Amino acid sequence: MLRRAVLQTFRQGLAQSFFKRYAVSLTETTVTHQPIETSDEAGEKSVPTQKTGDESGNTVVVAPPEFRFIYPEFLPDPAMERRNRLREKLERMDMLQRRSVIEIPEFYTGSIMAVTVADANSPNKFARFVGICIQRGGSGLRAWFILRNVVDKQGVEILYEMYCPLIQKIEVLRLERRLDESLLYLRDALPEYSTFPMDMEPERRLNNSVVPINPLKVKLRPRPWLERWERQNLQGVEDLNLPQRFYDRAEKVAKPWEKYDLMLHYRKTIPAEEQEKIFAEVHSQLQQQELKRKLRRRRGSDNEY
Amino acid sequence: MFQSLEWRNEKLSYLAVKICLAVDITLSLKAFRLFFNHEQIRTMSRVKRRTTHPPYWHVLKNNQRTDEKISSDNLRFVQEVIQDKYKNKSPIKGSDLDIEKTEWDPKTKRSGVIARNIGVQHMWEKDGKKVICTVLHVLDNHVIRYVPPEEYAKSVIGAKMFKNRKPLGCLVVGAEASNPERFTRQYCSLFDEVGLLPKKRLARFIVTPNAALPPCTPLTAGHFVIGQAVDVYGKTIDYGFQGVVKRWGFKGGPASHGTTKFHRRGGTIGTGRDKARVWPGQKMPGHMGSERRFNRGLKIVRINMKYNIIYVKGTVPGPTNSIVQIFDTALPRRKFTEAPPHPTYFPPEDGTLPQEDIWDSSLHVFGSPSISV
Repeated sequence: MLRRAVLQTFRQGLAQSFFKRYAVSLTETTVTHQPIETSDEAGEKSVPTQKTGDESGNTVVVAPPEFRFIYPEFLPDPAMERRNRLREKLERMDMLQRRSVIEIPEFYTGSIMAVTVADANSPNKFARFVGICIQRGGSGLRAWFILRNVVDKQGVEILYEMYCPLIQKIEVLRLERRLDESLLYLRDALPEYSTFPMDMEPERRLNNSVVPINPLKVKLRPRPWLERWERQNLQGVEDLNLPQRFYDRAEKVAKPWEKYDLMLHYRKTIPAEEQEKIFAEVHSQLQQQELKRKLRRRRGSDNEY
Repeated sequence: MFQSLEWRNEKLSYLAVKICLAVDITLSLKAFRLFFNHEQIRTMSRVKRRTTHPPYWHVLKNNQRTDEKISSDNLRFVQEVIQDKYKNKSPIKGSDLDIEKTEWDPKTKRSGVIARNIGVQHMWEKDGKKVICTVLHVLDNHVIRYVPPEEYAKSVIGAKMFKNRKPLGCLVVGAEASNPERFTRQYCSLFDEVGLLPKKRLARFIVTPNAALPPCTPLTAGHFVIGQAVDVYGKTIDYGFQGVVKRWGFKGGPASHGTTKFHRRGGTIGTGRDKARVWPGQKMPGHMGSERRFNRGLKIVRINMKYNIIYVKGTVPGPTNSIVQIFDTALPRRKFTEAPPHPTYFPPEDGTLPQEDIWDSSLHVFGSPSISV
């Protein structure tokens, strides 16, 4: 209730200006005209979909707001010169087709994953790699993520394209987040922070609705480093213990005005209205796929008995 | 080797036709830099490669009027008049049009198609190799008129093109219907005979008489066949005024080691001895891009009949959302061996819908199981 109230006040400006004509009290949960309101309720996992009524009586499906974190690759590249709605729509259809064949689970930077890939040079034709996701990016069918592990004292990073048909299976062994969006500093950290056993078992989540944030602070090796970590405002790194001149130089080079630059952030993101449209388009298919997988898993576990 | 010029398309400017007829391939294919002909380079440097104005025989296209103070009632009346004039036409079937049943033969030149390059999508082949495919959206093409060979040979460009050869016909195709209010009366009159909404884009395609199409024929993505090779014509990305490093690939100078003001410059532009002047065609900074180019022999790997989309393996000249023209290829070893939809594709008479998404056999279809090597 408190969460809903906070979000409501935050979005009140938007809600009022766009849905003035459809203002309905919060007590009416079944039919409301404010998609933002219902998506708050839809955000609670127990009620995945809410069908809202339009003025003309057509139902409008709205996706929960978490979709933009679970499926960020469905959002297109914000660069306006290369955007085309029709091509993006076709790409999304292809992505859904691929997702119907293979399960691409929810994961974040900092999650430990295992990927099985068809490899002609492997002894049993499949290569499995376990690692921590240090970065993810790309949009559409080009979406990728990098897994890092230390194998025989050698750091190894592999970039996987999420929609490549050579990938047989993507498992998330431990679903968690870290304090930073990019963990490239693990390359300069002590090797124990990047080492994970290759035969690691998937861990069961205690709390299904919230993804835990691991507040781990990583210790870096002594300099030289691959990047100037002191200039990057990292949260997940222990105190760097550098001479003061490094921090002075970092201050001189810093761009503190960027956080006030609205146009910069606007150009780097897709507007909220468009995001809602995009996820509403793919929402029902993704849900169906999720349900089918759950049924298969349940049937599989039943068959064991 | 440079004799067969039947693929030459009408959009070339009048000035460039004469010389481009002989040397166009040398400019468009990088490999031909091996056969460096200094004579040709010197002549080409005198040719005007870009024009911002259309040929003198074109009518004025865009409305020059500024905001007129018309009342809203009158505006509404104007829109009613427009709607009355261009009432919706029902889709034309092949049987309605009076097309002569002509046979296809290997020497036939079919019409091309106007499309928009809407971007690039990555796809994978059956062995897991990633390929870059350009997505081309075939716009609402309609044939505006057909000019028979005898008449076309009398026109300015036709006379030049078919000076010593047997003349071919010309098909005028338009794409992207839009509001008549934005065009001049003279431009809209080009479409009055056919009764179509004026098109934003027009193009001419040189066709053999047996591939002629009557006016108002729609051209769709089905005009092409999966696996065929096409040539795509477009205007390259406009880079503006560019320096010698980007424009010609010069190496410039060292970035450090005491270099004074010589990082991205051209350096020497000639010797002192022979000729004792700068040769014409000397590579220097200047306007780069916005030039007419063909990318030849691109393979069609996927056709989506529902949205009129063609996926072509490789890249195409021009930026995203620019208009291109697609032709059957001129490369002799990749031409048709079997008859394509001739003269164009028409949906079957018995009402059966065509297959919506057609894939080439080399591509991995996304809905099929993962590849295991």
